Amino acid sequence: MNDEYTPRIVGFLCNWCSYTGADLAGVSRLKVPPSLRIIRVMCSGRIDPLFVLKAFLKGIDGVMMMGCHPGECHYQKGNYNARRRFILLQKILEAFDLEPERLGIWWVSASEATKYAKVTTEFAKEIEKIGPSPVANEIFL
Amino acid sequence: MRGSVLPIENNLEETILNFIKEAFDKKCIEAVILPKRIPSGDSFAYLLIKDKSILEGASPFPPVIPVQGAKAISSLTRQGSVKKKILAIMHPCEIRATIELFKLKQTTLNNLIFMSYDCPGVLPLSDYLENPDENDQTFLAAQQKWDSKDMRPVCKICTEFSAPASDLHIGQLGTDEGKIFLIPNSSVGKEFLNAFGLNSDVPLDEWEAEVEKLKKERENNKKDAQEKLKTKVEGPENLLETLSSCITCHNCMRVCPVCYCRQCYFDSDAFKFPPDNFISKSEKKGSIRLPSDTLIFHLGRMSHMIHSCVSCGTCEDACPMDIPIAQIFNLVADKTQQVLDYKPGRNIEEPLPTVTYQEEELQEFEKPYSETYIKVEETNV
Amino acid sequence: MSKLLKINKGVDEGTKALLEYLLEKDKVEGVITLKTINANQGICYSLITKPEELKDAVPLIPYMPNNEGKLLSRLTLREPLADPIAVVARPCELRAFIELVKRNQGSLKNYLFISHTCPGVYPLETNVNGSLEKKISQYWNKTKNTELIQDTRPACKSCIHFIPDNADIIVSLIGEADLDNNCNIFLSTNKGEEFAAGIEGEIGEKELESKEINLMQNKREEERKKLFEETNIETKGIEGLIEYFGKCIGCHGCSNVCPICYCNLCFFDSQPNETQPSWSESDLDRKGALRLPSGTIFYHLGRLAHISISCIGCGMCTDVCPVNIPISTIFSKVGESVQKAFDYSPGMDVEEPVPFGIYKEEEFTEIGEQ
Repeated sequence: MNDEYTPRIVGFLCNWCSYTGADLAGVSRLKVPPSLRIIRVMCSGRIDPLFVLKAFLKGIDGVMMMGCHPGECHYQKGNYNARRRFILLQKILEAFDLEPERLGIWWVSASEATKYAKVTTEFAKEIEKIGPSPVANEIFL
Repeated sequence: MRGSVLPIENNLEETILNFIKEAFDKKCIEAVILPKRIPSGDSFAYLLIKDKSILEGASPFPPVIPVQGAKAISSLTRQGSVKKKILAIMHPCEIRATIELFKLKQTTLNNLIFMSYDCPGVLPLSDYLENPDENDQTFLAAQQKWDSKDMRPVCKICTEFSAPASDLHIGQLGTDEGKIFLIPNSSVGKEFLNAFGLNSDVPLDEWEAEVEKLKKERENNKKDAQEKLKTKVEGPENLLETLSSCITCHNCMRVCPVCYCRQCYFDSDAFKFPPDNFISKSEKKGSIRLPSDTLIFHLGRMSHMIHSCVSCGTCEDACPMDIPIAQIFNLVADKTQQVLDYKPGRNIEEPLPTVTYQEEELQEFEKPYSETYIKVEETNV
Repeated sequence: MSKLLKINKGVDEGTKALLEYLLEKDKVEGVITLKTINANQGICYSLITKPEELKDAVPLIPYMPNNEGKLLSRLTLREPLADPIAVVARPCELRAFIELVKRNQGSLKNYLFISHTCPGVYPLETNVNGSLEKKISQYWNKTKNTELIQDTRPACKSCIHFIPDNADIIVSLIGEADLDNNCNIFLSTNKGEEFAAGIEGEIGEKELESKEINLMQNKREEERKKLFEETNIETKGIEGLIEYFGKCIGCHGCSNVCPICYCNLCFFDSQPNETQPSWSESDLDRKGALRLPSGTIFYHLGRLAHISISCIGCGMCTDVCPVNIPISTIFSKVGESVQKAFDYSPGMDVEEPVPFGIYKEEEFTEIGEQ
């Protein structure tokens, strides 16, 4: 079973910085992990904690939240809100031993294609090391 | 009525599970909905199962109804039809509620096949949870003897315990030891039995007689129980007293299969008033209880759904204050449905009584001006 | 030091005398307190406007049919009170109301808060099976002796916020050896002093914090630790979640009675939370089976995401659960760690904003930079 395991990772990317950064990484032909599925949101502040919880309960192996660097948010403060929500999510995941290390947040600006390629590759490797999510095959959810 | 005979191997549950497995093999169905014990072992949950290995250990005849099956079905098909052919095994009351939900356009039934059985009743949920292991045994014994002593109060007086408008019905009454009847109620059910190569033309007189007998018995129980309940709830004082411990948690509404509104009217903005409203009411009487909408909630909910109430008893199971709410609703539902000549879940073609009418009906409830007021005037003269 | 009013009556009678005084002298328009409504042991909150109706009032009965914070919000959701109303509420109910006011679900204006050092309440089921009445004498005995009352609700036994910080008037109960004959009432705000001015009784000065209160604080903290350790959720992962919440029948009673859950339509009851059959079928293909209705764990985790920051641990959710899930303990435990992360104490100060939707630029700066 483990031989054929390729992790499934969901990335919530803000439109103005991280998504553009991902775009630039593509244009620059940088290598990014194929296991990452990107969902574009207008701002990291749009990432409802329920999106993340739902992803985990659907059996997703890792979730990446990405937004503009603090102080650079297109909407002034969306990423500050996202940062607090990330803490909230981490506390809830910790409380139930739901492997909080499967969730991460990164600030990636539109020009940081190399950073984007680096963090996604590293995170994908990390998730591969942790192994498949135990939630994936749970039927009594 | 005619149907086929199926021999029981070991026990009933295993027989039915084997029957389902065979149905999988024969490609009659692609998935099945039935209850299975949850991992902690003390309750049950409906599962939609495709994998035969998960079917192992499922409980088609659970001792409790934690979630009304109609709710399970509508959670799956409220937004559209399923593509897979799915068999659902449920209590008759759950199937009746599903049919009501279909009429209320809250579920679609394409590709769903329903299987029901002669229902001995189920145990009250809170009683069961106190000691699941012991109660499993109690239920097993009661199930075999058709003894409703420990069952829920509404199960004791349920007369619709057999053959609802399902596709296939499992008849356990009036059979010889080691046999059950499989009774097709629709063309789908017939096809099903044909696929199994079962002769569906065995006469079922014994079953019918036995069902009639139990129905009569339950009918009598119902009369007694309802008479007794009436003394407790008739008149505003009695009703208020019975509902006095209600904490307005609305659990009864939330678990009711027929209460399908996403937002109940009684939870909505229409029921949020300015402070004056409370204070002036209180000044009239000296004091008012808070929340002040206990009675209007129960009576209002009744007016919304009583014609479709299948008396499944889920509301009573969910009540943290042990109010006999299902029995009260059963009492009113019985009367209302009699007047409207409507039985919820009896027939999927039958329209809801609130969306249909005949011009020449229910005239005995009218008081035409000409008959009442003119007469009064005459006598006054 | 705060003003102490001594009334030469038992605590129950003393509290009632205070309410009667407020109503009779027209200092308040009404009183909200617990009241028995008939022979059938119905106990519910009531808005009382005529003093004679106070005869059935049971302001200190150890029973909580609703979280009163929710009721206070219902009363002032549309507009604030025009005239004062006195409210007898437990500390957790006051905290709940403060949280609701922060969320624009009510107004503090013209409420006079009367509270007490809270020994806890018995579960709802004690009033169903009739054991509440029998328990009351031991309740007061143990309160006099500053003992933990073992058969009160787990949320109460482990409550460490039993001193009402926001009350104008505080009836002292815990550790009051002579509470059968003496009612000690602290007038902790100017508002409280003004309202109580003129009532028959001795006026003195005393510190609310006492040896007994500290003793109780320690006992409760110990109990809390024990309870949190017993509820071992942090080592079992998803299996532990299913073990605890698997029984859930989806009645959403916990959110309906939760004072913090104020939404008219809960997200988890709303259409966006419903699934297309094709999604369920693809889940089915992947896993081989699927719970119906699914989303049990999602509901509880989601509710934690929504309200754990403000969970005041009143215990109503556990009380109302028809399948006895220890929801309140789990929510308190998670709530405590979330609240600690944001250095937030729910229901303490109405000026302290809820930590979501606000931010500081210079916080958690290590996050996102790795």
